[in-house]
Amino acid sequence: MTRNPVPHLPRMPRRTVLGGAAALAAGFALAGCSDGGDGDADAPRERKKGQKITLTFWSWVPGIDKPVDLWNRKNPDVQVKVEKVSAVNGEQYAKMHAAIKAGNPPDLGQIEFPIIPSFLLDNGLLDLAPLGAARHKGKFFGWQWQQSVFGKGIYAIPQASGPMGLFVRQDLFDKWGLKAPGTWDEYEAAAKVIRKKGAWIETFAPTNGNRFSGLAWQAGAKWYASHGDTWLVHIDDEPTRRVADYWESLVKQKLVKTIPDRQNAWYKDLQTGDITAWVGASWGDALLVGNAPGTKGKWRAAPLPQWKAGGQVFANWGGSTTAVFAKASYPKDALDFAVWLNTDPASIALLIDGGYGFPSAKKGYATDALDVDKPFFGGQSYSKVFADASAHVDTSWRWGPGVDTLYQRLGDAFTDALADGSSFRSALAKVQRQTLSDLQGKGLKVESGG
Amino acid sequence: MSRDTLSRTAPDTARRPDTPGRRRRVSRTEARNARAAAGFVLPFLALFGLCFVAPIVYAVQQSLHRTERTGPLGLGGREHEAFAGLTNYAHALADDRFLAGFGRVLLFGAVQIPLMIALATALALLLESASARGVPFFRSAFFLPYGVPGVIASILWGFLYVPGISPLVKIADAVGWDVDFLSRGTVLWSIANIVTWQFTGYNMLVLIAQLKSVPGELYEAARIDGASAWQVARHVKLPLIRPALVLTTVFSIIGTLQLFAEPMVLRPLASSIDSGFTPNLHAYSEAFVGNNPHVAAAEAVLLALVACVLSFGFLRLVGGRAKERRR
Repeated sequence: MTRNPVPHLPRMPRRTVLGGAAALAAGFALAGCSDGGDGDADAPRERKKGQKITLTFWSWVPGIDKPVDLWNRKNPDVQVKVEKVSAVNGEQYAKMHAAIKAGNPPDLGQIEFPIIPSFLLDNGLLDLAPLGAARHKGKFFGWQWQQSVFGKGIYAIPQASGPMGLFVRQDLFDKWGLKAPGTWDEYEAAAKVIRKKGAWIETFAPTNGNRFSGLAWQAGAKWYASHGDTWLVHIDDEPTRRVADYWESLVKQKLVKTIPDRQNAWYKDLQTGDITAWVGASWGDALLVGNAPGTKGKWRAAPLPQWKAGGQVFANWGGSTTAVFAKASYPKDALDFAVWLNTDPASIALLIDGGYGFPSAKKGYATDALDVDKPFFGGQSYSKVFADASAHVDTSWRWGPGVDTLYQRLGDAFTDALADGSSFRSALAKVQRQTLSDLQGKGLKVESGG
Repeated sequence: MSRDTLSRTAPDTARRPDTPGRRRRVSRTEARNARAAAGFVLPFLALFGLCFVAPIVYAVQQSLHRTERTGPLGLGGREHEAFAGLTNYAHALADDRFLAGFGRVLLFGAVQIPLMIALATALALLLESASARGVPFFRSAFFLPYGVPGVIASILWGFLYVPGISPLVKIADAVGWDVDFLSRGTVLWSIANIVTWQFTGYNMLVLIAQLKSVPGELYEAARIDGASAWQVARHVKLPLIRPALVLTTVFSIIGTLQLFAEPMVLRPLASSIDSGFTPNLHAYSEAFVGNNPHVAAAEAVLLALVACVLSFGFLRLVGGRAKERRR
């Protein structure tokens, strides 16, 4: 193991990425960690001219301190203090929820798109609409902006996303006379050829509810909707069932592995060529570069396979926002910082260097600036692939409350299904039932959608 | 200490009820003693209350409440805590996965605890036998794993379990033996192996401590009576270290019910470990993934109750047997 590179965090370290050691039950993080500069003020205040304030910002994004330093140099009166939080196993959110419960959250925090509704249940996030946040809408990709809009409220400023794509080992595909599959049918055919050669195309990681939701998203699923004051939940809708059937069939034909992804065994398989492709997302480039350096030059990025030949339907996996917490002392300044951080070209350049994902901002950078390691992908302008995908992400997808739990439920259900050979459809039905009961347990009105 | 003083003075005053002066003096001493005792006990009580009683009271209180949300879709409205009676407990007990976790740790305990205690006893007896060589070295070597934190131990063993990296799997493959330490059927026993590796040495040390306190004359007497080494171990040593065996078993029962770090660390490596693999992991997931502190509190209280019942049940079982034997 020592010869393996330490698994680098991906550009946008997802909370599912586990280095191991950090799994130490840090969920027990103490709540009272931030004194939030001007801490005691519960009521939002307007900063007086010339008054010096300090805002605290909880984030885990690598290199986030660089743009923050730049901001601090430019804005001596509004200093931002970054406090790094662990992004392993959702610890950062446990810490934020605990801080909200304890009444002393930071001013700003890094929150992923799917998790925003969970914080709204806590009344944890400040509605930025009264501060005039809507005027910034045009600076961002529409669908990403919409991820933090609930009702009339705007609850976060989008930072980055993870448009999905397919990474392939071009050298092996060439050797075996394969092309990067354009459709899911071709993907299955490729899987069969690769299996005959003794390797595998992929793994279906049963515990990765995150990616599964992205695949369902691409297929046209609508898991959450609302009707009046009632949530409509439909985890086992037709598109999701199609995705589940597809992967169940691959698993049953033994065309894919079922090991967890982004773990040591998987990294090893990438290094040895035992696994030859990965349905990933834009931030996956850093993950491959960091964990399979020996395969340099052999990878290419390709568009996500389509359900219909010639289709242009894509989805998103990952992505996060800068949110202002409800108790922020100086909300206006916090909002100004959040917008600057995610739109200012100098800030974006620094964030890209740090490897934070695919910008949510429309302008302020060139797509090829995102090609952080072209030689690894044989000189391909691979970010173009993801930029195209980003432009065609199905924008009607919405997240609902309790997505953390949903991921876990999906993981548990698929794990059970793999163990006892039951159908993935029945797993979805189980998750649907559980999710309804989970949300009722949270005191919400909820109905089965569809 | 104060009880000693009191019990000594009490009959004294009773004997001379007719001397009020003396009684006054004694009660003054009593009061002073009580004050001194209180002074000594207070720091302990304060910490005990703060770190032990208060969290329990808070957990019980949380377990009896629920969060109620108003406002459209529960977003942006007010939330408040309302009394929920036992609904959180009902919710926990209706959760198959939570109950399955209990079943799993009970199975784990039924197999792993006897195995570990037997191993610890055997090692202790071996190291304390007359013919043992290199005792200090082996004692430290066996005890060493206990010094490795559970999380680190799980990571270390994780590397030995993961296919593609583990030398053990490679060796097994080479001899044509297809093993998967992390499959649904084996992962519990892979965890049992980690726990055994970690705690056998510790339990062994507790047993050795008790063995050391056995007076040497007993062994001498046994030897003079013609007992073999085996008979000394079986009929002299084992009965005498019984209290230590009971103690280590109770600790192991509690530890088993609280199994957490090992499955938590191995979980990302093994698809077969679900979010409710052990009751503790389930409560953790409820609290920190689902943000349901109330249900988690109820599960924690249930877990504590089960630990109490099993520990005291075991003590009663062995206590009852000891009494029978004495009779």
